[in-house]
Amino acid sequence: MMDHGVSLKLAWRAIKQNLLTSWITVFTVALAGGLFLGAWKTNQSVRLAFAQSASGFDAVLGARGSQLQLVLNALFHLENSPGNLDWSQYEMIRDHPGVSEAYPFALGDNYLGHRIVGTIPEIFIEHQWKEGRNYQVLPPGRIFSENAKEALVGAQVAKRLGLKLGDRFHPYHGLEYSPDRKHEDIYLVVGILQATGTPSDQVIWIPLMGVQRMEGHDPEEAHSISGVLLNLKGSSGLALDVKYNKQGDQATLAWPVPAILSSFFNRFSWLERSIAALALLMALVGGLIILASLRSTMHERRREFAVLRCMGARRSVVTGSILWQSILLSFFGALGSLVVYLLLSLTVSSIIHLQIGVGVDLPLFDSAALYTFLGILLLGLLSAWLPVRQLYNSSLQEALLSSG
Amino acid sequence: MVLYVPTFSLENRSQVALEGASGSGKTTFLHLLAGVLPADSGQINMAGHFLHLLGEEARDQLRAKEIGYVFQSFNLLSGFSCLENLTLAMNLGGQTDPKHALSLLHAVGLYDRRNHRPHQLSIGQQQRVAIARALVNKPKLVLADEPTGNLDPANTDRSLSLLRSLCEEWESSLILVSHDTRVICQFEQNIRWDELNQIKRGEGILQIQEGSA
Repeated sequence: MMDHGVSLKLAWRAIKQNLLTSWITVFTVALAGGLFLGAWKTNQSVRLAFAQSASGFDAVLGARGSQLQLVLNALFHLENSPGNLDWSQYEMIRDHPGVSEAYPFALGDNYLGHRIVGTIPEIFIEHQWKEGRNYQVLPPGRIFSENAKEALVGAQVAKRLGLKLGDRFHPYHGLEYSPDRKHEDIYLVVGILQATGTPSDQVIWIPLMGVQRMEGHDPEEAHSISGVLLNLKGSSGLALDVKYNKQGDQATLAWPVPAILSSFFNRFSWLERSIAALALLMALVGGLIILASLRSTMHERRREFAVLRCMGARRSVVTGSILWQSILLSFFGALGSLVVYLLLSLTVSSIIHLQIGVGVDLPLFDSAALYTFLGILLLGLLSAWLPVRQLYNSSLQEALLSSG
Repeated sequence: MVLYVPTFSLENRSQVALEGASGSGKTTFLHLLAGVLPADSGQINMAGHFLHLLGEEARDQLRAKEIGYVFQSFNLLSGFSCLENLTLAMNLGGQTDPKHALSLLHAVGLYDRRNHRPHQLSIGQQQRVAIARALVNKPKLVLADEPTGNLDPANTDRSLSLLRSLCEEWESSLILVSHDTRVICQFEQNIRWDELNQIKRGEGILQIQEGSA
């Protein structure tokens, strides 16, 4: 027991005596471990967050085109709309027996870069964006009237642009903000939505007719919409898939949303693999850095070890000090990697939240963090193996004679 | 290094100087006595312990408890304070008594410097800490390998008298290796190394008097 105490004491002193090298080692290991954990967890968490942020819809009906484009455009307010649908298409799917909810939406305008989405007020009354959760308008606000130039503002937009009840604004034409494309219409903010942690927080909602009849829009398009957000009953998705995607040629049904999102992420699998390879490379560098650090201090401590042995320290005491040094360095490196991961995940999740409105929940202490922590300790022990073996086999007398 | 010592014995509490030229094997002889190096053949009896029969771990343990070693270049542990150099030696010998270490530092006149690191001490002070460290476990045998080799005459006298008086006080035997005649002549008992070491084929017997150091 006392031997371990002496080894630990020797290791701690060696770390303090080589403070700069020790810091560099801990920093590199922390960076490697943090990136490794980040690459591992962020990918999983982002996928999960996107799947949970589909605002409670099963499917989207839109113009003929890419299903992924429809989902990204309708539910995540990214990319452009593939085209327009006729109002009759909405009526047809609304009345289909396999459809439980259908809300038309129209896009085409923005306010200072935030998308304006035209829809019907029922979505804010009937639809549950998450099981058991309806949209809530912060009091004393209210939902817009169907025929008025009124707006209901998403929580993030209100916060970012400082919009409040009673404010008026001019929409701008197009999905991207361009100062010279201002519409003459003036909209009144009548409500602010409570935050949902979904992309709905990132848009301004106005009546469907507002977008359709906005000054400057093509009057011939007044009866068209960008798409329909849908919730389906039971297994009707299969029948609708056949009807729209396989037999029909008028519209595309993006269904099921989770599978489409999954295909989206699979597009980036090369990036995930590259990050994972980089992380493994970093882990290797971390191990080599520990090894180099131990080797360099060992060289300096050769005389110290010989003197200790001459004072009666067993081989296990001096080799134990190398092991402890490695364990301490990797322990602090592992702690540091959790800090790096925390900073990384906070940065990534806040960027995703700000840009897309998807709240990414990255848990700090879970099994992945524990495995990474233990993995770094194991790496430290492995790195110590070579110097320990070399030291264990070294001749005491030779070391004493060479140390003078 | 090849050496052959037919027989050598040392009385309990005696102090012996071993005189010889550099590189002639004196240090190897001390390493054999300390159990740092196992003898190829022959016997070594250290206070009832037959070193040639002990394994490495047992020799380490014996060295930690019963043998003190003073080096020419002091070899204090640079990352540790004077007091810690002593307490670490005590830990290796299975003891923990900082008060004893402090009293020993007081005896060598370095109590005020107990928290100083070796590089903050003068050469003479460093050797005095090294002497205190060698004696901190009240060893039966102290081996001093050219302990005054790096010291000026004033520090040589001071260190030597300190080493001898502490060995006397703690009832430790002392073997001091030197090539400095000024040091050698201060010992009543001195042995010429080239008389002790007879390099020829045969069975060597190293005997440190039975039942004593």
